[in-house]
Parts: sequence; C-alpha cells; structure tokens
Amino acid sequence: MNRASMAAARQATGEPQLVAIHPLPEMDGEMCQWEPAAASANVLLTALAQDVHVSADWETKPPGNADRAPARIIKDTYPTYSAIAVNLEKDEVLLQDENLFGIKVFNRTDNTPPTASFTEPKRRIAGGGVTKMEFNCGLYVDPKTGDIYSVTNDTIDTLTVFPWNAEGVMKPKRELYTPHGTFGISVDEDAGEMYLTVQHQNSVVVYPKAAAGEDKPLRELVGPKTQLEDPHGIAIDYKNGLMFVSNHGNAIVEATDSGKFEPPSITVYPLKASGDTAPLRIIEGARTRLDWPAGMRVDSEHGELYVANDGESSIIVFKITDSGNVAPTRVIRGPKTHVLNPTDVYVDLRHNEIWAANMGNHSAVVFPRTASGDVAPLRVIRSAPIEKKALAIGNPGAVAYDRNRDEILAPN
Amino acid sequence: MAHAQIAFFARLAKENTPPNRVLAGQKTLLSRTMHDIRYDDVHDEFVVNNPFAYALLVFAGGASGDDAPKRIIQGPKTTIGGSSRLEIDPVNNEILIPEGGGVVVFDRMANGDVPPKRKLNNAGSGGGIVVDPVHNLLILGSGGNNRNPGGIRIYDRTASGDTKALRTISGPKTGIIRALQMQVVPSTGWIAVTQPGESGTFDPGGTFVGFWSINDDGDVPPRWKLAGPKSTLIKPRGVALIPGHKEVIVADMSLNAVLVYYFPEIF
Repeated sequence: MNRASMAAARQATGEPQLVAIHPLPEMDGEMCQWEPAAASANVLLTALAQDVHVSADWETKPPGNADRAPARIIKDTYPTYSAIAVNLEKDEVLLQDENLFGIKVFNRTDNTPPTASFTEPKRRIAGGGVTKMEFNCGLYVDPKTGDIYSVTNDTIDTLTVFPWNAEGVMKPKRELYTPHGTFGISVDEDAGEMYLTVQHQNSVVVYPKAAAGEDKPLRELVGPKTQLEDPHGIAIDYKNGLMFVSNHGNAIVEATDSGKFEPPSITVYPLKASGDTAPLRIIEGARTRLDWPAGMRVDSEHGELYVANDGESSIIVFKITDSGNVAPTRVIRGPKTHVLNPTDVYVDLRHNEIWAANMGNHSAVVFPRTASGDVAPLRVIRSAPIEKKALAIGNPGAVAYDRNRDEILAPN
Repeated sequence: MAHAQIAFFARLAKENTPPNRVLAGQKTLLSRTMHDIRYDDVHDEFVVNNPFAYALLVFAGGASGDDAPKRIIQGPKTTIGGSSRLEIDPVNNEILIPEGGGVVVFDRMANGDVPPKRKLNNAGSGGGIVVDPVHNLLILGSGGNNRNPGGIRIYDRTASGDTKALRTISGPKTGIIRALQMQVVPSTGWIAVTQPGESGTFDPGGTFVGFWSINDDGDVPPRWKLAGPKSTLIKPRGVALIPGHKEVIVADMSLNAVLVYYFPEIF
C-alpha cells in the first residue's frame, strides 16, 4: 500500500496520529553551545546592570499613597473544610471553614445532588476579630451541651467556645489563650480535660475543659523521648486509657539544636502521660501508608483508629492495638470516594458512619463506618460547584514569580 | 494551616482559576509556615524553608505532585534554626538565611550538613531578606511590635562578623512595625517591603506594601505606599515582582489570596 492509500484508509480517531516519518536534514552549521550556569549568572548580572537608573528621582520623590485596585486576584471564593464534628443530639454536622474562616452548620443528612451548585448551610458562625476565628483548624462538639470548641492554628492563638446554636458575628462564651501553633483537639469528658497538640513546640498541652483566659495547662507532654515530631491530630481512647498523636515527621534534635526528617508516625501514650515520656507504641513505616496524617478519632467500641491521611487523599483505619510497620485494616481511597486532601475525620457510632473533611474539594463526605476501597460516599455536603477545584491557599506568607514558566508560586 | 502546599498559578490566573500544578505530600518534606520562597531563573530552581525541621529545601523549577527536593541543607553544622525566611543570589551563587539575629550564607549548591561560608552577626534580622547584586547590597528587615517597631538595615552584600549597617530605615515616619518579605528592583534601586503590622492581631491596621530607595537612610516615609480601600489589602506578607509586565504580586494572609497590581512607577 502506497502512502496515499494509507492516508485514505486512515480512520479518524479524534486523537493525534502518526502520519509520516521524514529524516532530519544534515546539519552543516555550528550547533549552539551549551551555556554553563556560571555564564548565565554573568549574563543576568550584565542584564540587571545595563538599565540602571537609580538616581533618577529617589532624592526628589515625595512620599505618596499608591492606593489602586488590583489587576487580578487569585482567591478561592468558596469554603474549604479543615475539620468536622457532629452534634448527634441536634442532628447537625459542623465544618471548620479555613478559607473564608468561620464554621458552617448543616443538617446531618444533607446531601448535595451532583447537579446542584452547592448546599446552603443552615447556620454560619462568622470568622473574624469578634469570633476570633482565623485559620481555624480543630473542632470539638460537647456531646451533652453541644458547645462548640474551635482551635486556631495561627495568628490569633485563642481557642474559642460557642453555644451549640451560635450564629453570625458573636463573642465567644469563653476564650482560652493557647500556645502558638495549636492544631488538634480531643476531650476526656469523664476527667473534664481538654487535649491540644502544638506544632511549634512539639507538645501536647492538657487544660481543664472549662479553662479560660490566661489559665495554664494542667500538664504538658514534651521532650525528646516523646518523639512528637510536628504533631497534628490527637485522639483519646477513654476505655483503654490511651492517647494517639499523628506526626508529620518534622523533628528537632535537642542535643544538637538541629533538625531532622523522620517518617510520619502515630505515637501512642498513656492517657495521663506528661513531661518527657516515651510512647508506648509507634505506628510507622512504609506499610502504614501514613502521608501527612492529620485529624484522628478513636472508636473504642470496635477498637479502631480512623486517620485523615492528607497526603495520600485517603481515610485509613488501624486497630488501636497496632504497632510498628503495620498495614491499615481498611483504606478508603480513589476517585469514587471524593476524598481529596482530608485533614479531619469523625466517627459517628450512633449512625455507624465515618465522615471526612476535605481541603481539596470544598466538601465533606460520609461513608458506612466499615467502608473500604474506592467506594462512593453515602452523602456529600458540597459548598461549591462540582467542577470547582479548591485552591487551598492558606495563610500565604510569601510569593514568588517564575519567569521561565510565567507562573506565580504561592506557598502556604 | 491544615494543609501544606505550594501552588503554581499562571500569571494571568484570577479568582477561582485552579493552579497549573501543586507540590504537596510527605516526600516533598514541606511544612506549613513557609514565610519566604525564591525562584532562581538562572538555574531553574526554587527554595523554601521547613522551619519545623530546621531545613532549607531546594526543588527543581518544574517540581510537582510529591516530588522530593533536589538538595537539603540541614544539620548541626548548618546552624540553621527555625528561620522561615531566605534569599537566593544566583549571580553570586549564594543562599542567605536570617538566623539568630544575623545572617548565615551558604554556597548555592550546598547540600547536607555543611557549615555556612559566611556569617553576619547582630544584624537585627528576623524579617525579610533580599540581595541587590548590582549595587552589591544585602537588605534585611526586622520583626517587631507596636512598642518596639522594626525597620530595614542595608549592608554591603558580603558583610560578615560584626560589620555595621551602611544605612538604616526606621522610625515612626516609616510606618514599619514588621518588615517581612522584600524584593529589590536593581535597575531603579527601589526596595519593596511588606508591612503586615503587629503579629497576633486580627486587624492590626496601618498595613501596607512600602517602597523605599536603596539610598534612603533614617526615619523616611515610604516613597510609595500600596494600601487603602482600592487595594483591598488587609495583611500583606508576601511580595514578588514581574519586571517584564511592570507588576507587583502581593500575598495577603487574611484574604487567603494573591493579588497582582500594575505598578510601573518602580520599574
């Protein structure tokens, strides 16, 4: 078959197709020489220096306001959820909005249809200076009173407590000034004690549940033996007297005042551990699938630990007795799950459900408690059109420009 | 911030435009609190700190997904602590980190537990840092609060030991409480500085992006002050420049947003 016949016989596929192969012509001139980086640096300096006109007006330029509108703003205009809790008595689910700040409250059984733009929350607690919610990341709901405990990760250093029906812009019923960098929260209701992880000092601080103002912690778990390494989530097993902490692995070596990268881990302590106490057990290693483990919850009834595994976009489940390099009992992960960069989970034993709050897609999703694999959620609470990807810009403290790719770099 | 990442947006992105790519995940070794980031367009690399692991991470310019860093500066010999700011000088092949009130300087290709090649002491650092390779200057910002405001100190680029600043921009007329991420336009000698006000306050007021000359000295008000209702800025902490388009990029932490301004005056 000649080329013309081959072309005529070619089937349209809608995809690019190989049409012909032709050899490149012989090169008869000199090729461009590879330029070493040092030469590029000199070229850069020369280019920078060529157009120097510093002294043009610096001495005469009067101070002036240059207020002007931005040409463009890159901003996610929808909520992004960092933490989740359920008020079982009121049948409500509460979501921490770390993008627009504040807390959004939905009916527990709300389910956003795929064709709907979003589900409107039934109530909102506003973020801002009055509610003292900015970069709010941890969430706890008192199972008896419904009081809402909101943890702030950055800038405000204040834990705020609101009544269950709080709405709009209102002062918290209680404020507690916390160390800088608190992340996770868990409460021992029997003992009336509240546990918080602190990223910036690799510690767990324990307060009376009713602590307020300048109250100091009852005790603190901190020190090199603890192996707390950038702690995030915390979960309590009342039944067995255990405390579980998830660590990202960013470690400080106190002896040499230097840093070290360790694998991500879940460290397990006696519930009342304090001071420089070593963990009883550590879940760590390649089989665990831990990848930026964040919020966690314990199900003492079934002896399981649920972990929001941010980096892998999964929910992973361990036995509370697990130790070492052990595979999770179950993994919820895959495109059908709509789990994307989850940073918190909630286990609802009354309805036998497991929830996740996603930083990656403006949603919270709920599954049967024993779900496993790439399964569709029972329900989705979505706060943006389904095609809108969450930007997940958070507390941007810097920015850079890549001239080669014409891109803006925005770190969190 | 619950989720750490670096997002890469097209220059013309706006509103909810998704990033072209994202760098996130355990292998990246990123943490939150990346208070500076620098792109080296000569060597196509970018650098960030991990202040929770006392480390500096160097990535390939096109890194995405959970790509690991190309090089890591970390360990007791480095003397790096929890600094979250840095600068890269591709002309002189150096990486500079404010640390312990001074500055530690590494070879750009440094990797592992290596000592700094140079140290500047008692420079009142703690804020932003930027190098002007044309005028051979090292410019440092300092943190502060309403009672003890910070400022800007200008040194010879190679200053070390207890060398004193050539010039200092500070005082009530400057409006500086904290001078955080900074940039310089070497051709015109303008310095861009973010001033987000006192830390730990939801709405500190008096925040702005200010522009001074590299020749300014003393209690000098900014020559331009990007602030006010039109700007919509609340707490600007990051600034970068796009000379080719005469634009200034600002990261505002309270807005959770990146804003781009046309600002031809400084280029």
